[in-house]
Parts: sequence; structure tokens; C-alpha cells
Amino acid sequence: MNIAPHISAEQFDIRDFMRLEAFPHFLCPGCGHGMALRALMWALYENNISMDDLAVVTGIGCSGRLGAYIDANTFHVTHGRPLAFATGLALARPDLHVVVITSDGDCLAIGGNHLIHSCRRNVNMTCLMLNNEVYGMTGGQVSPTTSATRYTTTTPGGNHEPVFDACKLAEAAGASFVGREVTMQVPTLKDLVSEALLHDGFSFVEIISDCTEIFGRKNQLGDSAEMILSQKAATRPDSYGSKVDTPFRPNPLPTGVLARANRPEYRANLVPAKQKELGGG
Amino acid sequence: MSQVQRQNIQGNQACALGAIAAGCRFYAGYPITPSSEVAEVMARELPKVDGMFIQMEDEIASMGAVIGASFGGAKAMTATSGPGFSLKQENLGYAAMTETPCVVINVMRGGPSTGMPTRPGQGDVMQARWGTHGDHPIIVLAPASVSEVYSETIRAFNLSERFRVPVIVLFDETIGHLLETVELLAPAPESLDERKWANGDDNAYLPYGETEDLVPAMARPGDGFRAHTTGLTHDERGFPTQDPAIASRAVARLLEKIELHSDQIASYQTLHCDDADIVIVAFGIVARAAQRAVKTLRAEGIRAGLFRPRTLWPFPEQALLEAANGAKSLLVVEMNAGQLALEIERLCAGRGAVHRLNRIDGEVIAPAEIADAVRQAAP
Amino acid sequence: MDRELEIRLSGSGGQGLILAAGILAEALTTEGRNVAQSQSYEPTSRGGLSRSDLVVSDGEADYPLVSEIDCLVILDQVAVAASRDMIRPEAIVVTDAKTVTEPPAGSFRLAELPLSETAITLGNRRIANIVALSALTAMGGLCDRDVLKQTVLRRSPKTYVDLNMDALHAGWELAERCV
Repeated sequence: MNIAPHISAEQFDIRDFMRLEAFPHFLCPGCGHGMALRALMWALYENNISMDDLAVVTGIGCSGRLGAYIDANTFHVTHGRPLAFATGLALARPDLHVVVITSDGDCLAIGGNHLIHSCRRNVNMTCLMLNNEVYGMTGGQVSPTTSATRYTTTTPGGNHEPVFDACKLAEAAGASFVGREVTMQVPTLKDLVSEALLHDGFSFVEIISDCTEIFGRKNQLGDSAEMILSQKAATRPDSYGSKVDTPFRPNPLPTGVLARANRPEYRANLVPAKQKELGGG
Repeated sequence: MSQVQRQNIQGNQACALGAIAAGCRFYAGYPITPSSEVAEVMARELPKVDGMFIQMEDEIASMGAVIGASFGGAKAMTATSGPGFSLKQENLGYAAMTETPCVVINVMRGGPSTGMPTRPGQGDVMQARWGTHGDHPIIVLAPASVSEVYSETIRAFNLSERFRVPVIVLFDETIGHLLETVELLAPAPESLDERKWANGDDNAYLPYGETEDLVPAMARPGDGFRAHTTGLTHDERGFPTQDPAIASRAVARLLEKIELHSDQIASYQTLHCDDADIVIVAFGIVARAAQRAVKTLRAEGIRAGLFRPRTLWPFPEQALLEAANGAKSLLVVEMNAGQLALEIERLCAGRGAVHRLNRIDGEVIAPAEIADAVRQAAP
Repeated sequence: MDRELEIRLSGSGGQGLILAAGILAEALTTEGRNVAQSQSYEPTSRGGLSRSDLVVSDGEADYPLVSEIDCLVILDQVAVAASRDMIRPEAIVVTDAKTVTEPPAGSFRLAELPLSETAITLGNRRIANIVALSALTAMGGLCDRDVLKQTVLRRSPKTYVDLNMDALHAGWELAERCV
């Protein structure tokens, strides 16, 4: 990944872009979602994207609640459907920057159909999928990305289902930009989100986030500091060539920009009708 | 579209043309018999007026995309039939809760479930009213001819924009596929209702505030209001709340904004009700059969009348009570097992017998059947 | 007009009856009448019952579907049952003499005409629909011959113009011969 020229964290004050009246926020201590949100806001700031022209569409779950804190045009829609709503909004208003914040359950389970077709269509928007391996909002049920053998309230004997690799899925479905990053490295994550925002077409970023209070506690993964450090071992940035064995995930996940294709944005492919006028037999 | 043109067109085609005439510039849909022609005409005609057509991956997504486009300010529509209408219900409730205008066409077929896709039915009367969960506002229109499909689709957009509420246009396969000679009158631009958009002082604006007409102005993305929209029960600012008093008022206002304007929304037609001994209540294609039956019966000296609601929900209650005032009984005729009849029985409780004539076999109830039922009901 | 006029063109799928009904509807609209056209939407591309109905009126029809038939074409035996009980006593019924072996019976006027045979003689069995349309129009006095001709011309693909004109002429002749 190219290293973007950094604006120092000191110059960027996230509070300038948040709805402070919506605080205190509802996230649990140690939740990774706040860091994902910070990376997004920082990337928006760096790219000089006006909050007036930003539309954030979120689904249901912990990630879905993030929109309320962003001082932009925010839409908290139905479970699994933010990509469908965002498709309509982006097509009706190509002048807006459309960002979708979704999550492993919202995007890969109930909303899986919308993800694959959004990847295929390539409507200009950025999809951030916050993956914390669990349905946190509803109390900790298994999700399509819960690692093998992990305990959740609906896998009392440990998870026996295979894990969905969202980035492989997105790439296979034709997404023109696919990336993955962890919340441990906010500046690196910010750079990836920034690239996704600038991409003309559908960009998909999986953000590995931690659910400390529910998933971490249930699986005795340690405190939030321990959990976030384990992200390092669970992932394989470009600079890490070797396989790192870790109990968090059996195989380290690659991070950074994982796929990129130059193909026309949805609107560029629209063609006028060739059919005859109304009537006729 | 400005010239009146005499033409033979299908109900589904008239629906699409009505939508475009009303200012619809976004359509998202999913193919389903017997509504697919609406999508086909929209796909061809919308680009000509700089509109956007998209076929989504499923019914749920098309409802979502329609609401998303409406967030952005577009007048937006989708069309479907029974099974697809079921799938749209959750997002329909979201549109009602967030007061996002949208129009849903439901070309009814035989049900339940996959039912009879190419046969007509009227089995979605109650689903159109109560299909999504919770107490919610909704408007349901029921045109009975091809020309009325056109005009009621236009009215659907006007009501939806004016009251910020989803509007359903309910007709059946027979009318959807029927060709009739029509002269489509394009509405004057000034006669179209446009959404009330927030403007002025940023700080004073409340996205869900109380106003005299109970319909708050909507914040358009890009206009600087940066509002929050959520299907969670929200306060006047749009933020989630579980405060009982605020929650109670928020839902009550949604229902009251329709009640307050029900006289503007209710629409109906009567035929020979003034001196009728028996009043037939029917809508859609069945009302056309009843119209002929009334003429046949009148020629025999039987004093029959017809009350035809063009608005099913909110039901034109007062008008029905007036139309049925002198009548000894009513006959509710519908292509279902008795859905609108429940409402009529409720309204007319204690005022005389309410008879029913129903078919659930995918066949339209014919004029002769209605005439026979009247003869039996009113000896 | 006091009563609406109810017309049905019926036969089996693939006989071009919906097209023929559409042509008649357009011709009648040209003459200032209002027409409602309906057909069954079951997939009947080949072999099964196919029908297209017209209700003709001045102004919007009370009831746009056919329930008591005034004018009927039957091009295939398979279509007889669907209409048998709906034919008015004063109706005009035109059937294909060859394929409709058991035509409906009643006090109505029945003309068993060599519709498909005529079409084959003219060179293409697919124009039996236009032969039938023409014969029914002539017998029922449904619309002006020239208006029908102009409408058929407008709706005919190039390769069918001459054939359809021949069919129109032959159908009209058949009708006049049996008057």
C-alpha cells in the first residue's frame, strides 16, 4: 500500500465532525468500533469531504449506531439493507459521497445478497464492514465470521461452522476495490479508508474490530489491550511474510489493499433503450 | 406528454406513465407476475426524462433502494405482487416510521403464497393496511379502470409527498393487463404536490417537530441540515428515544397526520345510492361488474346502489354511512374471503344486514352473480 | 349505444388471435369507439386455449370483461367449451369448418366457414386469423371495411402485407356469400 502524506493527528480533532449532543455514546469500553469511526472521520477530513455532502447509511447492530454520532446526513436503516438503501441514494444523488457502515452479521448474513450484487454493480460508494465476529447488540450470538470453536450464546459447544472470508467474497463478486485492516493501526486504517473513499466505484473495506465485553469475555480473550494486541498476530500485513500461528484465527489474514480493478462505475455503463415506442403487438 | 392522446393501453403501462407524469424519477423493482410490465415501461421511459431505473437483486432491495432515492429527494416507486409485497413489508414500515415518501404498486394475484400468478385476486386488502408490524400510517388507493390507474398513480405521488407517507396503489391482474381506450391528461406541473423541504435557520429546524399540519419538513442531503434518520423510535431531533411520553407522541403524530387529512385523502364514487334499498360495496374490477349489475337491477325495478371506494385506507367512513343511510342492507363483493367486509361490518354495526359475496378461485365476480346475490338479499 | 358489444376471438395458442383482436380494437378506436381488450395470461404459446376479448362501448365500459358474447370466432375445437354457455341468443358465431368439428349449438347465427382452408389456399395457414377477423367484421357490421384495411396494413410486417390483404378480401367474401 502506498503511504499517503500524513496529516498529523494533532491537527485533526474528531469532535469537529461529531454530533456532540448525541453523546455519551453507547459503545462498551474497549470496543473497536470507535477506532474504526475515528479512522473514517480522519480520512474524510484528509480528503476535505464536506459533512454536508456526506451521506452515511448504516444497518442494524452496534455498527449501525455509529451514524448517529457523525455530523452528516445519516440514515440508520433496516437490518441487512444499508447497501440497498445506499444504492438508491447514490443513484439518485451522484453528487453525494455515500459511505455504508455495516458489520459481519448485517453484511454477510441477512444482507449477503446485497453485498454480492453491490460488488457486481459497482455503484460509487464505500462500504466499511466492521467485523467483530459476533452479534453484539443482541447479546452475543454466532455470526458468519465467528472463528472456529469460539463460544457464543448460540454455540454453547463452540462454533462448528466455517468462517466467511468477506474480502474473498467481495473480490469474487467483482468488487473493484477490496481491502482489509485492523483497528489496532488507526493511521494505517485511515489510509486504507482514504483510498477506498477516492475510488470511483464500489469499494469494500473489512475492518477487524474487537468486541471486548461480550465476545472477548465469553472466550476469555483478555482485556481490551490484550485483544487489540492479538490483532497483530491474527493478521498478515504486506511486511509480514511469514505465517504466524495464533489461537485467534487459525490462519493469519492478509491486510492492505487486496484487490483493485479498473472498471467503469455503474453510471458509465448505462445505455439508452433500443426498443420501439409504446404500443404495437 | 402535454397533448391528450387517445390510445389503447394496458393498466400496467398506464401506471408507469402516470408515475412519470407525477414526477417519478426513480424506479427500483424485481420481476414478478402480473406487475412486470410496470417495470418494463419504466426501464424504457425513465431514462428519457433523466430518471433512473434499476432492477435490484430482490424485492427487499428494491424497496430499500426506493426509500434511499427518496432520502435523496427523488420521487420514487416500485411495483410488485403478493409474494413480493410480503417481502417489502419491513422496509415499508421503515418508510412510514421515518416519513419517507414512496409509492408501491401492488398488482394483486391469487393467493396465499405463490397462489395463482396469472389470475386476479383482491386478497391483499388487509396486508396493505397492516402488513408491516406496529401501528403505522399508510394510504391505500384502489383504481378500477386503466384511466383511473393513471390518475390514481399520480394522486398516490401527490399524497405521498404531501403527507410524507408510503402510498400503496392496489389493483388486480385483470386491470393490470386490461387494455382500454384512454385519453391520458398530463397534470399541470403546478398541480403536483412537492415535498416540503427544510430551509432557513439551521438551528431552529426539528426534523420531526410538531407543525400545524403534523407533517414536518424534510431535510434534503446537501442542503446543510445534516439530519439523522432512523427507524428507531425517535424524538423531534430524530435521535433514538425510549422516553414513554416522547415515544407515545411520536407514534400518535404519525397516525394523526393521516386522520387529520382523511377528508383530503378519502375518495369514492356512488351510483344510485340516494334511494337504494341495498347498497353494493365493491372496489377495483369487481366494482365495474357491480356497476353493470346495478343497471340491470334498476331495469328490473330493484333499487340497488353502488358505493365504490377509490381510497381503501383510510376508508371513506362518513361517505359510506351517508350512502347507506336509507338502505335496508349492504352487500360487500370482493375477490377474497371477506376482508373489506370486516371494515364495512364494523362501520355499519347495528344499521342493517351486511351480506357478502366472495370468490377466491382466481375468477372475476361477474355482473350476473352480483345481480343474483342482490335479488336474494333484497327480496 | 344502449348495451356494450362483446366480441371474442378464440382458438388455440399460436393462431394470432390476440394480434387480430388488437387490430380490431385499433380499428374501432379509430372510428371513435371505446374498447376494452383482455386475454388470459396463461402460457398457451402452442396448442392450449387462447382467447382475446373486446368490449366495445361509447365512453368507458361499465364492465370491461366479456360475460355475454355478441360476436364470436372459434378457430379450434379446444376453444368451444370456454364460450359455449356465454353466447347470447342473437349472437353471430363464426367457426372454422375444418377444425371445429362440434361447434356450439343454439338459436344464434352460426357460420361454419372454411377459414383455415382459405388461408392455406392463399399460401399461409398463419393468416387464418385475418380471414376470420374479416369475416366476423363483415357479418357483424363491426366497422368500416376500409378502416379495418388501413389498420391491418399499419399492423402488418412487410412480408405479410400482401398475404393479409388477400386474407382480408377473402374473409369479407366468405361472409358476404353466407348472408
